[in-house]
Amino acid sequence: MMRTITRALAILALMAIGASATACATVQPWQRARLSKTCMQFSPDPALTAFAGHWQESREGAAGGLGLQGGGCGCK
Amino acid sequence: MDVSNRWIALLGSAVVSWTVVTALIVTDAARSHAQEPQAQSLGLQFHTFVDSRGVTVLSPTVDLGQDFTDRTGLRVGFGVDAITAASDSCARCHAEGASNSRQFVNASIIRSYGDTKLSVGGEYSHENFYQATTVSTSITRSLNQANTTVAGGYSFSWNRPQLHPDEIVENQASQSAYATLTQTLSKNTIVQLGYELGYITGYQSNPFLRTTVDGVKMVGVHPDERMRHALTARLRQALPADTYFEADFRRYFDDWDVNANTWSVGLSKEFSPRFTLSGIFRRHGQAGAYFYQPFYTGSPQYYTADFRLFPFDSNLVTGRAIFTPHDGMLMFPAGTSLTAQYEFYKSTTNFEAGIFTLGVRMPMPHR
Repeated sequence: MMRTITRALAILALMAIGASATACATVQPWQRARLSKTCMQFSPDPALTAFAGHWQESREGAAGGLGLQGGGCGCK
Repeated sequence: MDVSNRWIALLGSAVVSWTVVTALIVTDAARSHAQEPQAQSLGLQFHTFVDSRGVTVLSPTVDLGQDFTDRTGLRVGFGVDAITAASDSCARCHAEGASNSRQFVNASIIRSYGDTKLSVGGEYSHENFYQATTVSTSITRSLNQANTTVAGGYSFSWNRPQLHPDEIVENQASQSAYATLTQTLSKNTIVQLGYELGYITGYQSNPFLRTTVDGVKMVGVHPDERMRHALTARLRQALPADTYFEADFRRYFDDWDVNANTWSVGLSKEFSPRFTLSGIFRRHGQAGAYFYQPFYTGSPQYYTADFRLFPFDSNLVTGRAIFTPHDGMLMFPAGTSLTAQYEFYKSTTNFEAGIFTLGVRMPMPHR
């Protein structure tokens, strides 16, 4: 358990370092035309993402990482 | 089993069903105003899943996002999985297959406080021999003139599998927490790093899958505690000529020794403001759980027949087309998008599946 918590804290620390290292990059609102495109979004359609997560979890034992986990299902 | 043949028969019924449902709802939604934000929308999707075991799943889903004030919004969703010729675990006792259906409903309230968004929600799902109740909360904070976004969330699920054909109902508690950092690197590049921690306690065996222990078929026995970790790194890069590149990587590991690397790359091309084509390839490879063996001898503490805990690789190919009709075309309100997607999945466990999705997303009026 201790090892797990240490790992989790180390990962969060790395993310915090990453955040501070990149915080100086500033794109102004009028430069965001391409960033606002649907193709640039990580989950452009949450319903599609949720369905993919649902059926992939029913086939693979390594789910998670792309949003909160639900209760799963008995569909195995 | 030829996946593509089953497809043709299903595709007709899927298109008809989808068209009827869409026609019923679009009549009302067509009164809505033009060019609303994506969150203010009504989405309808019809998924068809056909696999090499002979399992067919038809899944219509509906989701609605509605903002009631500048600060408060509601998201609700409902869906059904209608399963026919149920899986090989069912076929053991039901040679002709067994049908099942799963219904789920979810809702969340989103409240904005300046650059911070807080959401609280839940989901309930029910099917034969399985119930799941989930509550979740998440927070998102925009920083650095919206160039940096940090988000975190937590969910708790109480799952109740029934050990069919017995009446015994077991309990399982699943907790999950995540944190993500999304950073704009330039006007053409955005990246996201994430970490998710999951902790599951209680009954985690599969009551329907049997393995061989000393020559006898037995239901698997899994540990009743599992700690799961997933690290993700994602990139979206705009390229010249209205082309967009995407790459995702996920590293997964848990204390059952299931380790996995999953990566995907994709390319999208906007042929016009109204038509976009995308192609995505995903590769997944995982090591088996430490107690996995093809068969068992002696008196093992744990044993499994759950194919999700086997070592295997899989490939997934996705093709997607998104069409935005002209204002008023086909009775759709301005800003409506239509999606058609086909996926083909193949794993080294001799499993294949074809998944087809048709969807429509219509903007909703502001209140």
